[in-house]
Amino acid sequence: MIKLLQVLIDGTLVGLVYGLVAISFVVIYRASKIVNLSQGEVLVFGALFLWTFTFGVKALGYDMPLWLGLLVTMVACVGFGLLLERFVFRPLIGQPAFAIFMASIALLVMLRGTAQLVWTAETRPFPAFLPGGALQLGPFMVSTKLLIGALFTIALTAGLHLFFTRSRRGLRLAAVAEDHNTALSLGVSVRGAIAVAWILGTVVATFGAIVFLSGRIVSLEVASIGFKALPVALLGGLESIRGAPLAGILIGVGEAVAMAYLDPVTNGVASNVLPFAVMIGVLLLRPQGLFGWKKIERL
Amino acid sequence: MLPTGIQFSTYTGEAGILKTNRARIGVLLIVILLLVAPLMSGPYLLGIGTQMFITLIAVYGLHVTVGMAGQINIAQSAFVGVGAFAAAKLSSYGLPFWVVLPLAAVITGLVSVLFALPAARVKGFYLALTTLAAQVLFPIVILGLPQDWLGGLVGLPVEPLKIAGYSMGSPKHFYYFTLALVLLATYAAYNLHRSRLGRALKAVRDNDVAAEVMGVPVLRYKITAFFTGSLFAGVAGACTAWFLQFVTIESFTLFASVWYLGMLIVGGLHSPVGAILGVLFITFLQEGLHEVATLVMRSQSHAVGGAVFATTNIVLGACILLALIFEPRGLAHRWSVLRTAYQLWPFPRQ
Repeated sequence: MIKLLQVLIDGTLVGLVYGLVAISFVVIYRASKIVNLSQGEVLVFGALFLWTFTFGVKALGYDMPLWLGLLVTMVACVGFGLLLERFVFRPLIGQPAFAIFMASIALLVMLRGTAQLVWTAETRPFPAFLPGGALQLGPFMVSTKLLIGALFTIALTAGLHLFFTRSRRGLRLAAVAEDHNTALSLGVSVRGAIAVAWILGTVVATFGAIVFLSGRIVSLEVASIGFKALPVALLGGLESIRGAPLAGILIGVGEAVAMAYLDPVTNGVASNVLPFAVMIGVLLLRPQGLFGWKKIERL
Repeated sequence: MLPTGIQFSTYTGEAGILKTNRARIGVLLIVILLLVAPLMSGPYLLGIGTQMFITLIAVYGLHVTVGMAGQINIAQSAFVGVGAFAAAKLSSYGLPFWVVLPLAAVITGLVSVLFALPAARVKGFYLALTTLAAQVLFPIVILGLPQDWLGGLVGLPVEPLKIAGYSMGSPKHFYYFTLALVLLATYAAYNLHRSRLGRALKAVRDNDVAAEVMGVPVLRYKITAFFTGSLFAGVAGACTAWFLQFVTIESFTLFASVWYLGMLIVGGLHSPVGAILGVLFITFLQEGLHEVATLVMRSQSHAVGGAVFATTNIVLGACILLALIFEPRGLAHRWSVLRTAYQLWPFPRQ
């Protein structure tokens, strides 16, 4: 019983990290109708920026305080988002969804190549922003780092949800998520929306990297968390900010249970397959996810 | 666009793949060139040629799924992998190649149908996500299966191809084998465009709601599109297995899938010419980069192995983006503009 509860707690906390990365998917989709397959690579970029402005700068002999490094990283993320908007997605406004989807796939290989060329494939330590260790709560162990990350995820979800549903700017973004051409004809700036989407997307992905990687090791392989967060975003509904952490918990708990009870029998396959099995199940049973928008099509 | 003065009195003439004598002679010349090429080239060029043929077969498959039916497939490399593992396993039982090849193709097709089923409920990029799931799950499942089934992490060795007792293991023989297959695949790809299936797939691509209203069973054709495209992938996979004589999951990554898609997009989605031009263009680019990289490596003493892969990825990504932004119809469109101008000369082109 205690083992099961421990597994559930771990699953929930890890699931909220998936939820955080899934939010970075959702904000991009919710503000610009772009399904960004390269989100994992964007996260790696955020992590590598952060490494550069902390340990990388230190290796060059300059000592930068951690908060300043974080600030510079956020500025770099904003620049990165604007760059992508200007040179990749602005020319594609009004193109069919196919072209935009393909562009995100092209971006996947391009970002991976750039990261490998600039930072090389070696593994590096990631600065420990959050305290390590674990809290002892009765018979259970709770990782401090993940607990802080979970609280942060919940706060961020609430904030972003308010932004998207209450503020004027956020509501305009909803129009862009509905349809680019309609939004343009109503006088909503699609360029601006895509820029906001990518800035939010990269910044949230960097937060995800901080929670996920704090005190661990960063390498190009970390990008695979992007593909783990994709089923989460889909389960929660691509348009729903609040759906992402909830779906994250569901998938995180499912994965943890599968890891603890099914993996010994199935040679470690069950926990890896589960998120994608859920994804295909969601697509078959409820394509819009738990809280997504249901689309009606006319001829 | 045909040259002036050519007309047809029968439908069969109009529907022919090669309509004029000039086109027939042109194709004959290309085939003869490909037939005599191995007599004049070394093993390096032969290898590239064979590799190109195999890639072309896989890209033809993608042309059917993505170009004709409009269903995004980012798991072509996984499907090629399924074909390769199927061929490796089947030929280890001592089956002859004419059993292994079709069987591997059909197995690949059936696996792809499994991931095409969500087409019943979703479309567009949602469907693409299920193919992504196929690509991500492929190595996990192969690694998870018992080692003596599909080799797991180590991989499976493959006996060289044997046809009627003769070994086709030498590069030259295998070149001719893949050449024969690629000619067959080219004919199939062109033929598909004028068949009932091809027309139905194009209707689904252009507007699936309208196609449904017009009486095209959309779901069945979407699944058929994946099945057909994966038959090509299965053949390409079997060839890969015999070509490398060893199959591991390392050869069938997401990046390979993106490269296949990139070739198709750069070449042009909507015609088999696009597949051919795309494969040629990207292969030349890749080999060019390798040449440059070896030169750089010689001049600088420290090795830059990973940088080649990285640069290839950047260049390929840039090519896809440029094609999407500036010429979504791909090189095939440029080619047809050029051809029309030549055929109408000295009149101005339309």
